[in-house]
Amino acid sequence: MVKYTESEIIVANAAREIEDGDIVVIGQGIPMAAGVLAKATHAPNCIILTEAGLVDIDPFRNPLHIADPTCTRGYAYSCDMIDVFATIVNRGLVDVTFLGVGQMDRFGNMNSTVFGDYDDFRMRMMGAGGAPEFFGYARKAVLTMRGGRFVEKVDYVSSPGYLDGGDARDRAGFPPGSGPKVVYGTRGVFRFEEESKEIYLAGIFPGRSLEDIRAEVPWDLEVAADLEELPAPSQEEVDLIREFAPEIAAGRKLQVELSIPRIMNILASRAG
Amino acid sequence: MLTKYMQEDKRMTAKEAVERFVGDGDSLVIGNCLYATPYALLHEVIRQGRKDLTVFQQGGIDEIDQLILGGCVSRLLIAYNFRIAGERMETVLERALRRGEVEIEDYSNYTLLAMLQAGAMGYPFLPVMSGIRETDVCRVERFCAGQKFDEVECPFTGERVAVVRGRNPDVAVVHVQRADKYGNAQLWGALINTKWACLASSRVIVSCEEVVDSEVIRRSPHLTVVPGFRVCAVVEEPWGAHPSELLGFYDYDMIYRSLLFMQTMSEEGGKAFMDEWVYGVADRREYLQHYADRFGLRYLNELKARPYLSVPADYGATWRRAWDENDVSFNFQMTRGEFLQALEEKGGFVSG
Repeated sequence: MVKYTESEIIVANAAREIEDGDIVVIGQGIPMAAGVLAKATHAPNCIILTEAGLVDIDPFRNPLHIADPTCTRGYAYSCDMIDVFATIVNRGLVDVTFLGVGQMDRFGNMNSTVFGDYDDFRMRMMGAGGAPEFFGYARKAVLTMRGGRFVEKVDYVSSPGYLDGGDARDRAGFPPGSGPKVVYGTRGVFRFEEESKEIYLAGIFPGRSLEDIRAEVPWDLEVAADLEELPAPSQEEVDLIREFAPEIAAGRKLQVELSIPRIMNILASRAG
Repeated sequence: MLTKYMQEDKRMTAKEAVERFVGDGDSLVIGNCLYATPYALLHEVIRQGRKDLTVFQQGGIDEIDQLILGGCVSRLLIAYNFRIAGERMETVLERALRRGEVEIEDYSNYTLLAMLQAGAMGYPFLPVMSGIRETDVCRVERFCAGQKFDEVECPFTGERVAVVRGRNPDVAVVHVQRADKYGNAQLWGALINTKWACLASSRVIVSCEEVVDSEVIRRSPHLTVVPGFRVCAVVEEPWGAHPSELLGFYDYDMIYRSLLFMQTMSEEGGKAFMDEWVYGVADRREYLQHYADRFGLRYLNELKARPYLSVPADYGATWRRAWDENDVSFNFQMTRGEFLQALEEKGGFVSG
């Protein structure tokens, strides 16, 4: 039996959302690991780009951020942020966007700006960044949620999902068929019902319980009649993830815990 | 002379550049983000105690925190700011917002930069992807209220399109790999917002790893991200983007950043960090010396880039001149003497 971590099963399953030849916009962290795993396995011809103006990148390890030097060894097209959004995203050329989720409601509207009241906030997250336009204009948005949470109403709509549900997104003028399609959480995968656009549980990871998932969702979650058990990652997949992104494999908490001793050592040792 | 900055030697120190070209109350845009962040110039802005700045920030890691710790920022137009701290920790930005020391206006990456693109092109406004209207990025307005987003009817299709206002910051600060003394500045790698930040701004301060001969620039003009006639100061500042990275020179400094993140978790720590790394040194040279004293040069050397050379672009052509080595014109197939005689005979001269 393959031993795998919480992040690895998300990465392995999320990677399958990319088809060979897709143009894929990716953010840092788990999404990037999924993109690179897809490119290394079943989708060698997918084109990965980041909003920093780096198109058709071929990172050799998981980048720390979307412009770091692991992205800039041997990329095919150097442009800038305006070029990426105006000439690629706005033209409907992005097949898949992969992003992490802070807070999400039942219609896939996403908050990555602020928890609590905008002015009297509980916490400020990193901000909207590129997500509003990626969410709005990519053919499909694939989301990963690790540390994020479902809420009845998001505190701030940073990125548009299906708005009030039903055909609200189409009526608002977004490209037909676009929008969030799937959310990979730590215990299972969620998809959006075709008519109502409400999120439902479509699959569950091995050994995870429906009750635990329901407990994380503050409304009466719909569950697919044919709820599937998602596959564990293969040995090949976990080997690739660990080769390319051991920090992602470890997860944020363990990553920090494991890297602190070296940092503390260096900080403690005055140059002599 | 319409351009403000002539073809002149603009080399100066960071101190002089900030003294001359950054003022209290200015709007300031930070060129590039995540990658090639102009830390040396920003530290100088902080050391000189600039106040009441309105800062355009595309995607920061810790530079905004440092400017806030320096008391420089009053208003922030921002798309993204990195956060490593958990929910229970208070960041520098959060502390400043809660105390009302800084006002914030949230944008998306695209809409923030589109304002500068419009400003750079001299347009009063520019359409953006209209879906932004369905988000709180558009709906929630603070100090930019009434000037943040609007919509207009397309005169050709009748479609309602979202627009942003063109913006022209007072000053852009950027760091690049190389520039000549006239300010022709070359950046490669992630280009992000640098071109638009520079071209939108009234004044541009460039720091670079090395000032090179103009011949180097003129043999690789495709790398020039801002032309010299838009640049008012050139500061040669090796390691000027540390602790961010710069292709061909150095990598991201995780150790230093970890120190920064850990210290700025508390107010006293943040103050100690600024005292040690910004106020405690006179310039970038002293900063590097302090780094070497503190950690040893070994850690700095570990960051140095290994080469991965671009293939040179061949800018060659026939280089045919008007007159060849025998003083014969290729186009007219005549010597210069025959040419002058022809002008005479055909009435080409008007001077009698």
